[in-house]
Amino acid sequence: MALLALVFLYPLALVVQQSFQPDTGGTSVQPYADVLASPAFREALWTTVWLAVAATVGCLVLGFVLALIIAFVPFPGSKAVARFIDVFLSFPSFLITLALLFVYGTVGMANGAWTDVTGAAEGPFQFLTTPWGVLLAEITYFTPFVMRPLLAAFSQLDTGQLEAASSLGARAPRIVRRVILPEALPALAAGGSLVLVLCLNEFGIVLFTGAKGVTTLPTLVYGKAILESDYPGACVVAVVNVLISVGLYGLYRVVSRRAGA
Amino acid sequence: MSTTSSGIRFDSVTVAYDGNVVLDALDLTVGPGEVMALLGPSGSGKTTALRAVAGFVRPASGRVFLGDRDVTDLPPHRRGIGMVVQQYALFPHMRVEDNVAFGLKARKVAKAEIRTRVLEALEMTGMGAYARRHPRELSGGQQQRVAIARALAIRPDVLLLDEPLSALDAQLRSGMLAELARLHRELPDVSILYVTHDQVEALTLADRIAVMDRAKLRACGTPRELYRAPADAFTASFVGGANLLPVTVGDRGVSFGDAEIEVDTGGVARGASATLCVRPHLVGLGDGPNRLTGTVGEIQWRGATHRLYVDVAGHRVMADLRELKAPPAHGESVSLHFAPEDAVLLPAGVGGG
Amino acid sequence: MWTVFFLLFVPLFALPLLVVLGASFATHWSSVLPSGFTTGHYEAATRGEALQALTTSLVTAVSASLVALAAGTWAALAAAALGKRYRKVLDALFVLPVAVPSVVVGLATLVAFSQPPMLLNGTRWIVIIAHAVLVTAFAYQSVSAAITRLDPAYAQAAASLGASPAYVLWRVRLPLLLPSLTAAAGLCFALSMGELSATMMLYPPDWTPLPVLIYAATDRGALFTGSALAVVLMAATLLVLLAVSRIRTRASYR
Repeated sequence: MALLALVFLYPLALVVQQSFQPDTGGTSVQPYADVLASPAFREALWTTVWLAVAATVGCLVLGFVLALIIAFVPFPGSKAVARFIDVFLSFPSFLITLALLFVYGTVGMANGAWTDVTGAAEGPFQFLTTPWGVLLAEITYFTPFVMRPLLAAFSQLDTGQLEAASSLGARAPRIVRRVILPEALPALAAGGSLVLVLCLNEFGIVLFTGAKGVTTLPTLVYGKAILESDYPGACVVAVVNVLISVGLYGLYRVVSRRAGA
Repeated sequence: MSTTSSGIRFDSVTVAYDGNVVLDALDLTVGPGEVMALLGPSGSGKTTALRAVAGFVRPASGRVFLGDRDVTDLPPHRRGIGMVVQQYALFPHMRVEDNVAFGLKARKVAKAEIRTRVLEALEMTGMGAYARRHPRELSGGQQQRVAIARALAIRPDVLLLDEPLSALDAQLRSGMLAELARLHRELPDVSILYVTHDQVEALTLADRIAVMDRAKLRACGTPRELYRAPADAFTASFVGGANLLPVTVGDRGVSFGDAEIEVDTGGVARGASATLCVRPHLVGLGDGPNRLTGTVGEIQWRGATHRLYVDVAGHRVMADLRELKAPPAHGESVSLHFAPEDAVLLPAGVGGG
Repeated sequence: MWTVFFLLFVPLFALPLLVVLGASFATHWSSVLPSGFTTGHYEAATRGEALQALTTSLVTAVSASLVALAAGTWAALAAAALGKRYRKVLDALFVLPVAVPSVVVGLATLVAFSQPPMLLNGTRWIVIIAHAVLVTAFAYQSVSAAITRLDPAYAQAAASLGASPAYVLWRVRLPLLLPSLTAAAGLCFALSMGELSATMMLYPPDWTPLPVLIYAATDRGALFTGSALAVVLMAATLLVLLAVSRIRTRASYR
């Protein structure tokens, strides 16, 4: 207990403390005023939030469809697919971005195919260094985080219930909407809020896209601390980021506990 | 471990969970070498009583004694008791012999001694050939024998059995029942507290039965006493089936509907209401003393016997009869009778339990 | 239905991994398939700086996992023994590192250990500490989930046989928890191997884990070398996970 307090809480407290201490010395809210007023911070905050929300929505839709298929359409390899998802989760996030560079990057596969076929000098896929590239990578990487709780929820769903529904003449879309969706709702909520938090905190993906125009709160922390050596500023951003994500994580815990009940 | 005298004594033991009293001032003594069955429906507090002896629940008040030792404040591992639970709880990661040796190793008994005592305990339960197996390779009955061997290996003065047979099927259960009776004959000094909801197990094994209901001790006595002369309606219906008839006490007997029944009123005041308890297998068909007439409401053939449900004066009377050559038809009017000495008058009203 | 599935699944999930694998053997990739087959990147990726990064990553991940596993297990056991209220506090405390961005954990560690009384900045210990803090939360969560699933009857049977609480813990509860413990260790290891964000804030020049090296390679445009390094990272992670799951099946079938 004391150990944890030492290595985790103590540093966090120091971060909060330092966020109130500008380089000029003394204690003030000056760093907050400076940072909160800066356009870079506001832009990063906005980018972070909309990226996270959009990625979460994307993950939920994609994850729901994929989990639905894995769980309810009989297929010999579905176990292997579920296994693969577990393995996928154990890889670091930046691998995805690295791969996307090859697939959609300026000299990558998709553009290469396009230039081969059309003979154009440049491919049409130039979005990778924009926020859209980050979004695509985040959706790709975080969808399994939605699928896992969903698969668990689906496996508990009584197949007898589905058979009863279909024997009563309900069509597949109706079954999905009326029977499966209500059951999956808690898992969706839990997975969704987890992904939201993780997206807010994601660092590797943003860093790897080389999207210089895309700055999120975590990269701002990194930039301020390491590149600019502006520790108070970094601490301020960190505190803001922590507040947002801890608040959301609390929500996730509440939601997932309700889902478990 | 106590060397003076074994046995268990509950001294006004009360247990409460979150203000909910689950065991209410239990006073009970299990003598050295005695088998005491705690019999009752689920939620009656019988398992709580056993866990209070084992040390897994702390009484809110009262003391628990093992022999003349007050163990109320001792942690479970210093009480020196053997315990067998319903789900066996054999350690899945150990072989049978290591399971049995567990208690001895925990007590740092010498190695050679452990070996002989493990063998002895396994032989006693007939599991000597399975020492090298893992628990999951054994059947339910075999696992239960290992669990008993494990509890006996530490040579406890007191053995606690918590519904030990309820996870077994009917056939295995009667075999294990005989086995337990044999073990008790071989270990005459061990006091056994046997928790069960099955009256057959209690009647077969126990020297005395303590009947529990709703956190309270209802009755305590030998199986014969409880069966022949139950103290109240709950005991009567829980220990063996019983007809419980609401009667009014008269001069020389009681009246039930129109019928006058001759029975020992045993000092119950005249005019009082009471409950008459008659065991179904003591009820006969046809004319005889204490005749009751009614119509057959239902008839069940049970192989060796027929059970008749006869509606008499608005009450259903059960009768277990030797297989009938010509059983009465549904709705037929029949007479039933029983001997005066086979009926017991209970002062409480019907359904007191 | 399955065509829909594969249309979504393969490009999104399988393709990235295959692409990285393919790129690691290539020198050019300007059309549909990579060209210029070579194993040169691997030669580069298995010696010198890269090899050192791999061992750095492995050492960091192993030590961080072990520390996290010990701390997480101990805390989970303590939480199980404590009352409900304390357990909630402990639960909340141990999930904080999950919710707090790892960049911030890195920053916090940097701030805390760059000043007296503990001057660890610029040493390898600061990286290991940050990793341990990050993964302890996961270890705690999976171990405490396993403890609540463990049937108390085993511990009670052991106690009734005369085993002291310490003996019960060592001979009964920990062996029964072993499968979950190894699973938690594998999880911690994988997380630590791939951890980039906190490491970026902290790593000293002489202690460069693989992810940082991969980033450095891609940042200067050496994508193919980066891929080879990434494949090495994935392979190392998978090998260790495989070994751990072998131990786990052995433990659960014992």
